[in-house]
Amino acid sequence: MGKKISAAAQQKAAEELAKAMSSFDGVSAEIDSRSSGTQVRHTVSATSTPESWRQLAEALATDHAVDYCSMITGIHWPEAADKTWEVVYHLMRTGVKDPGAIEGVVQPNITDAENLTGADMPMEIQISISLPDTREPMVPSVQDLWVGADWNEKETWDLVGIDFEGHEGMRRVLNPHETPVGYHPLQKQHKLRYHGFEEMYDDAQGFMRKPADAGKIK
Amino acid sequence: MAEMWISMGPQHPMTHGLWTLKVKVDGETVVDTEPDLGYIHRGVEKICEARDFTQITTYCDRLCYASANTWSHSYIYAAEDLLGVEVPERAEYIRLIAVELQRIASHLMWLGAYGPDIGNLSIMVWCLREREMMMDLLQELGGSRMHYNFPRIGGVKRDLPHGFSQRAQAKLKLFLNRIQEYEALFDESTVFLVRSQGVGYAKPEEMINHGVSGPNVRAAGVDYDVRWAHPYSVYSELDWQPSVERSSIKGADCYDRYRVRVEEMRMSASMVLQALDKMPGGSETYHEPGDPKIIAKAPSRAPEGTSGSHHFEDSRGESMFYIAGGGEGRGKMPYRVSIRSPMFITIPYAAKCMIGYKVADIPAIMGSFDPCIGETDR
Repeated sequence: MGKKISAAAQQKAAEELAKAMSSFDGVSAEIDSRSSGTQVRHTVSATSTPESWRQLAEALATDHAVDYCSMITGIHWPEAADKTWEVVYHLMRTGVKDPGAIEGVVQPNITDAENLTGADMPMEIQISISLPDTREPMVPSVQDLWVGADWNEKETWDLVGIDFEGHEGMRRVLNPHETPVGYHPLQKQHKLRYHGFEEMYDDAQGFMRKPADAGKIK
Repeated sequence: MAEMWISMGPQHPMTHGLWTLKVKVDGETVVDTEPDLGYIHRGVEKICEARDFTQITTYCDRLCYASANTWSHSYIYAAEDLLGVEVPERAEYIRLIAVELQRIASHLMWLGAYGPDIGNLSIMVWCLREREMMMDLLQELGGSRMHYNFPRIGGVKRDLPHGFSQRAQAKLKLFLNRIQEYEALFDESTVFLVRSQGVGYAKPEEMINHGVSGPNVRAAGVDYDVRWAHPYSVYSELDWQPSVERSSIKGADCYDRYRVRVEEMRMSASMVLQALDKMPGGSETYHEPGDPKIIAKAPSRAPEGTSGSHHFEDSRGESMFYIAGGGEGRGKMPYRVSIRSPMFITIPYAAKCMIGYKVADIPAIMGSFDPCIGETDR
């Protein structure tokens, strides 16, 4: 049969990681069980304060073999009660090691998936950080721990406007370089639907579109 | 000699799309690179905030024209995680067939584009011929040639049509024979070997740290694959091993990245054949669209405070969606959809890989990472 990781061992590994993460100040982590398809998988979901994030990230990278930054998401919540900005990190433990070599011939790493335990177990980690209402939302950068976070952080600043303290070489990546300072299209004040009017449905052919000076000139 | 910056792109055959690679050269040697993306940024993430959950599937199809099905499935799994839907097993098998056929078509598209990149034009015609067989099969499922809009939240649009399994088996058997023709065409071509071997070395640990995954990592001798490491769908029911390439001690070069994709096509074909055999209810039975055997009922609203995410093995690496619920219309629309594109992270790494090689190696190295700009710019 093909590769299959043991759900029980994965649950145990997730519990250990969640416990280690919860020992930090301002961090609370718990296990999430997800099932899509025939196998259940256990992931770790955590919340952290912006102050303890850098410390937590360093510990994950060095002590818990979290080696992969999958995605960083910025969210603007102008109307939420408890937060205005949120940054969600999706990290992963992949367990990838450089393959060894015998007399100069590389021996591919073939994982024995059924007997993986502890810190070798692949793991998904989701960490969300809420930021208070501020004009300049900022969290510490993890660009130096996971280079994969580099362009994710650039994108989050570009689209959402959340800045990363200590990030080197911040610049626009998806928007044009000449985009005005302070314009971040995924902030919620920029609306797709306005005054109950949806261009795509209410005026698909564009017959109702009028020039800006309509009615003012003869 | 004085160093200077030159721009490759936005219009350049190397780019496989529309972006600029700024290259700092010292004579013929590349000393620094800087990719510049965003030429076809459509704002899909923003558009999704004003569409309900079923409408978004169509947009996700259009993230990558070469691999539409994997992207819409990637979204659907995240949406199911958000809405808490349990999918019937038969639907999971049909999805697996659709995704793996798409993976073959995507790798063939890559192989077809990589040949001309490094001076072997005939391979393109051969690969597109076989890609057409896969697209015919996918067209039977989704109804259109490229953007299938096939998966649904809770299942699939329709069951396998009558006779699909015979046609799929015949075509895949023919395809498995024809793979040997490509191997002969590539592996015996001196031009191909000279240009692809010994350039663009990449080590697995470094790649993982840079966020690179998928076939590019497996080319370097590790068997990391989201399909078993973070299991979803029914992959754990099938007999398969991720394709791993024995790279050189310096890491995977362009030739290893070509080899691993050819092996992966074989593995995908075998997975489809197995899934047709193992499918609950058999691959010959047909259920009308909407039958609970192929689609489960799903809620249409996600309340505020909920979120869903899913890691998915795309043809180019690990793709994922993160969806926060509670948008407009009391949760009828998502509040925020965030897309992880494997190529958005891989392109900066591929650009770093070129440093130290010659300008003429750039198309060979860049092309071997399988760039797709539609998903990169979103």
